[in-house]
Amino acid sequence: MQTCLEMRNICKTYSINGRTVNKNVDLTVRKGEIHALLGENGAGKTTLMNILYGIIHPDSGEIFINGKKVFIDSPLTANRSGIGMVHQHFRLIDDFTVAQNVVLGMEPRHGLFKFDNTKAEKDVLSVINKNGFKLEPNAKISDLSVGQMQQVEIVKMLYRKADLLILDEPTSVLTEHEIQNLFIRLKKLVKTGKTVIIITHKLKEVKRLSDRLTVLRSGKVVGVRNTADVDESEISRLMVGRTVALKPIKVETEIKEEALKLENVVLKKRRQERPILDNLSFKVFKGEILGIAAVAGNGLSELENLLGGMVRITSGRLLINGQDVTNEGAAVFRRAGLSYVPSDRLKRGSSIESSVRENIILTNHHRFVKKTGEIDSSAADEFSSKLIDNFNIDADPSTRTGTLSGGNIQKVILSRELEHIDGLVVFAEPTWGLDIASSEYIYKKIIEVKSEGAAVVIISSNIEEIINLSDRIIVMHSGEIVCETKNTEDIDAAVIGDYMLGLKNDFSKVTNER
Amino acid sequence: MKDSRNCSTVQLSGVLVTLAAAAVVVIVSIFILSKTPFSTIYYFFIGPFANKYYLGNMLNSVVPLIFTGLGISFAFKASMFNLGGEGQVYAGGFIAASVALLIPSLPGVIGIFLSLLVAAVCGALIAGLSGFFKMKWNTDELITSFLISNALIYTIDFFITGPMDDPTNNLLATRKIASQYHLLRIFPPSSLNISVIIAILAVIFSFWILFKTNHGYELRLSGLNSEFARYGGINIGKYIFLPMLWSGAFNALAGAVSVLGTTHCCIKGFSNGVGWNGIAVALIARNNPAAVVPAALFFAFIEAGANSAMINADVTIEIASIVKAVIFFLITSRVIYNSFRRKALV
Repeated sequence: MQTCLEMRNICKTYSINGRTVNKNVDLTVRKGEIHALLGENGAGKTTLMNILYGIIHPDSGEIFINGKKVFIDSPLTANRSGIGMVHQHFRLIDDFTVAQNVVLGMEPRHGLFKFDNTKAEKDVLSVINKNGFKLEPNAKISDLSVGQMQQVEIVKMLYRKADLLILDEPTSVLTEHEIQNLFIRLKKLVKTGKTVIIITHKLKEVKRLSDRLTVLRSGKVVGVRNTADVDESEISRLMVGRTVALKPIKVETEIKEEALKLENVVLKKRRQERPILDNLSFKVFKGEILGIAAVAGNGLSELENLLGGMVRITSGRLLINGQDVTNEGAAVFRRAGLSYVPSDRLKRGSSIESSVRENIILTNHHRFVKKTGEIDSSAADEFSSKLIDNFNIDADPSTRTGTLSGGNIQKVILSRELEHIDGLVVFAEPTWGLDIASSEYIYKKIIEVKSEGAAVVIISSNIEEIINLSDRIIVMHSGEIVCETKNTEDIDAAVIGDYMLGLKNDFSKVTNER
Repeated sequence: MKDSRNCSTVQLSGVLVTLAAAAVVVIVSIFILSKTPFSTIYYFFIGPFANKYYLGNMLNSVVPLIFTGLGISFAFKASMFNLGGEGQVYAGGFIAASVALLIPSLPGVIGIFLSLLVAAVCGALIAGLSGFFKMKWNTDELITSFLISNALIYTIDFFITGPMDDPTNNLLATRKIASQYHLLRIFPPSSLNISVIIAILAVIFSFWILFKTNHGYELRLSGLNSEFARYGGINIGKYIFLPMLWSGAFNALAGAVSVLGTTHCCIKGFSNGVGWNGIAVALIARNNPAAVVPAALFFAFIEAGANSAMINADVTIEIASIVKAVIFFLITSRVIYNSFRRKALV
């Protein structure tokens, strides 16, 4: 079989912290295959792909496309060499149409200046049809679902005549249904002669989708395999360097008093009739884990905002540890006993421009204030060093938080939120985008929090996570609770999935009256 | 630890490279614009140090710049924009002069302290108004601070040229303030006075507030990431309002020390861009109070150099302004700085 891409001896060390992220990495991708690039956060897979796409310049190494040596110094030259990349976070302009986004940068024109929208739409439609996508060229991006936006990104690369597509964590934002569609499309694409590299750490998807795989660990290639020849546990052993039990062990804890109570909570946007959260009522008790599952866009993030005290509700009541805190704001929620690990770690959970110390002491910083109004810096240092040790964070108190890996940033947030627990902890998408080892660590912590007697709420679009951890499950669809059930051994993930997608809504409420 | 040190060396070298580039631009533009380029360059770079008078006056012009630099930095640190510096400086000077004129018989130290205090409080309230509006109704502080400041400038102009004008001289200015209000001159024959010490104290105080206290911690966090601050239980409304108070107070002090130390009366339009230049100083200093001093020095040096070249060589006021503008364009554009920084990072 013909070789499409060969990267030889790629090395990259960041001068700023002396960290080597790629050590003599070789990557060979055959024409017409789906090649999975696997590794934990910080294993160097995104760096490698950014080198291939011209965003990062390697210290040494060579790149060959179809046997020809190429120098790629920018995404533009990468495009010219037939390489296209779909980033994890989409780079689309909301107010533009699909066609306008796709042609952006190489627009068809009338004469010298005038943009030819008709031709753009025609050209884009032909790319869409040829490759079996389902998109309207004149639809606005802001009206599309996340899955459709991803299609636009892929079409954008195909329009640029990319033969080699790189997809960075393409499934992390998609629903099960959308993932299936994506996989079908990718398989069709390789049949037409395209080649696909997919960066991921979801083992199931690797098995389902890829032909071959390359595993990176700490910047080095630790294995190249035919996917058919390996099983999931071997892949995960390659990635982590040891075997891991991804399924956390449940602990039975005594159920105690109520920690969180929602009474008929309604959240409406101004001038919008349809509520985003529709008459939610539920309770969470100390010593149990309540999992709340939904597909993105069904009120999950609004529920997270609500529980974190970040949004005002239209009607209803919210009680934490028996105290009515409706519409009181985060400070009061926290004083009433809330700890909250948010889904958006970079915007809400941390200040990436600040030091780790400044991130850790938030919410605890009042403890270090002296009579003069000064912060006792040695006490704050000691406090943050202690938490850095306890949570095995790979950083100093003075490290800028933005330089840490995703897993370490999440640990910084966890250390701050779990340092002092007062009855209620809300975790939102706790393992989103994290690797196996970090996820495992976080699951362990969640179980620990529960066994120490706190009430835990997990808000997640990851159904496996919900089923593996929760004692009770609530499913939301378009802002309503469509299912509330105890999590027993025989619960079926597919049924929960149907509720999440709104395919089932025969409210099978298992009452939890006590 | 290693990381942060590396970062600051990178930052420092970025600034130095920018300054070097600015110097090159000055020299090149002088060669283009002046018929006697060598003497012009001499007067531009050496002129400000030629004698005690020039040197002292240059150093004296640093003082208000330090205050406005601090004022703008405080707002920027909290991600607030105070575009009303000019009006706040002017108001500060006017209020300081008014206090001195209204109660001329106060003993010196108390009088000076009182007029500085009243000026600072008034400045704080003027800028605070914009902060308050933003907190209450989410109005854009950039626009309100600018509008309020402009209205104030005309109002103060009215008082200086009208009811409070000193008829005994032909300057458009208030009467001279009593001599015990004058800040002590320390470098005669120049106007350099003890306000330079007040400025240094203000720098130390600002640094302490911003980096050592809880107030500064919360203020900086609100500025860096207000969602994070709110999530952590910080009352971010407070940090929309309070930084504007600080900002206005420091800006007003810039005007007050100019009146008490240099002009000894409030002359129409004396603020002459000091409020705006504070923005440039804050940008050069990247909102770090410690860096405000060298930034203000640099700024004052360029001003003094341009003036000296204008007086002694064939440079016209327009050319001096162009050269100044080019330099600040370079400094504030961050292009050179960032490209240098990126190179160091990759």
